[in-house]
Amino acid sequence: MRRASAFVALLALAWAAWDTGADPARLLRGLPWLLDFVRRMLPPDLRVLPAALAGAVTTVEIALLGTAVAAVLALPLGFLSARNVAAPPIFRVARAALNFFRSVDTLVYALVFVAAVGLGPFPGVLAVIAYTTTSLAKLYSEAIEGIERGPVDAITATGATRAQVLRYGVLPQVLPLFLSYVLYRLETNIRAATVLGFVGAGGIGFYLQTYLRMIDYRAASTVLLVTVVMVVVVDFVSSRLRQRLV
Amino acid sequence: MIEVTGLRVILPPDTRALDGVDLSIRAGEFVVILGSSGAGKTTFLRCLNRLVEPTAGIVRINGRAVTGATPPALRAARREIGMVFQQFNLARRLSVLDNVLTGRLGYAPALASLAGRFPPRDRALARECLGQVGLAHLAERRADTLSGGEQQRVAIARALAQSPAVILADEPTASLDPALTDTIMGTLRRINAERGLTLVVSQHQLATALEYATRIVGFRAGRVVFDGRATDVTPAVVARIYGTMEL
Repeated sequence: MRRASAFVALLALAWAAWDTGADPARLLRGLPWLLDFVRRMLPPDLRVLPAALAGAVTTVEIALLGTAVAAVLALPLGFLSARNVAAPPIFRVARAALNFFRSVDTLVYALVFVAAVGLGPFPGVLAVIAYTTTSLAKLYSEAIEGIERGPVDAITATGATRAQVLRYGVLPQVLPLFLSYVLYRLETNIRAATVLGFVGAGGIGFYLQTYLRMIDYRAASTVLLVTVVMVVVVDFVSSRLRQRLV
Repeated sequence: MIEVTGLRVILPPDTRALDGVDLSIRAGEFVVILGSSGAGKTTFLRCLNRLVEPTAGIVRINGRAVTGATPPALRAARREIGMVFQQFNLARRLSVLDNVLTGRLGYAPALASLAGRFPPRDRALARECLGQVGLAHLAERRADTLSGGEQQRVAIARALAQSPAVILADEPTASLDPALTDTIMGTLRRINAERGLTLVVSQHQLATALEYATRIVGFRAGRVVFDGRATDVTPAVVARIYGTMEL
């Protein structure tokens, strides 16, 4: 059985390599062009730094606002899709809805919202909200399903209502996890938001795409550097905050 | 105070956790439930406030029907029944005082309590209950920074904050250092003596049970096999409860 599955897996990988034209030799032949590309990016053109920084600020804003709204919207969804809190019919519907909406990535949502509300950072915010709400709801629900039964029993035994049991028996157990997930999502959303500009949904990606199209690689490299610094800074701050949550 | 008639709990597929228990407990009694693990002690206690749903039988506590009660009536019954657990079951990240305050949830205004606000009267009562278990000085500490014995006393204070008529304690000393057994059991006895509260405590330690109980109820295989005073517990009774002669 194990041998058969290993064989099938190898077969699938080999077919995928053939079908995608994966070829190390071709990569080697392309290497000089890659180096040429890098050479043409240097030195970075710092005249575009103000534009790049403005783009970075917009990207951070998109990620922050989108993640914050999603963190709140995901709360009721998270409880509704937790097996140990919601009634089975509700739980099943909520889980199915989450899995359906979560299978679409932020960038695809951005395309839809750009078509709906026009270009700019706003459709980007909407796209981040759409994806993050469902993905956070899933993480929330798993945290809720992993709680200890004891404190819930203890609060129930005091004569508390269901809402009070959730507030005092469940929430204290899951809140640090929730916050940690939100920060983690913020980190990934910063990355996701950098490419939102490619489809017209605002932020630093717009500048990267514009300069690449204009074949102004030195300007593009400045934008790339700003992107890297932005991501590193947000990751650093966020992971510091997460450590404090334990 | 506590009237139990024909109590049965059948766990699927057909484990008889409780197999027809009749028991009547008067106000102010200190009852210790004895029995080996699996005898039905925990199930019995949890049926008294319906944390476990009985398959059949009637439970009445302090004049209120617990079995068959509607959700609001059940909550009203529960707030008069404090419960202490083997694993303390505190909200670890909340302060000691906030944990004790959860004992007031059944009385507190619903919306304010969800926002974390309790009437000054409840706060004063919570502090008083903490004082009664000797932990007033730890009120502001986070619950999980306390030792096991202290956490269990916080749990007792939480039960006291309910202003209960009855306190149920499910193996309250089983996960503590043996040296702390007397502290916890002593606290429970003091509550029993000073407030006239009815206590139903399960214990697996025979010596402790005999020392503190005014009445011993022995469980075996989901049935009551002994019911009497501690002084009436003879080796033959022990054998009936545990199935061996060990003391």
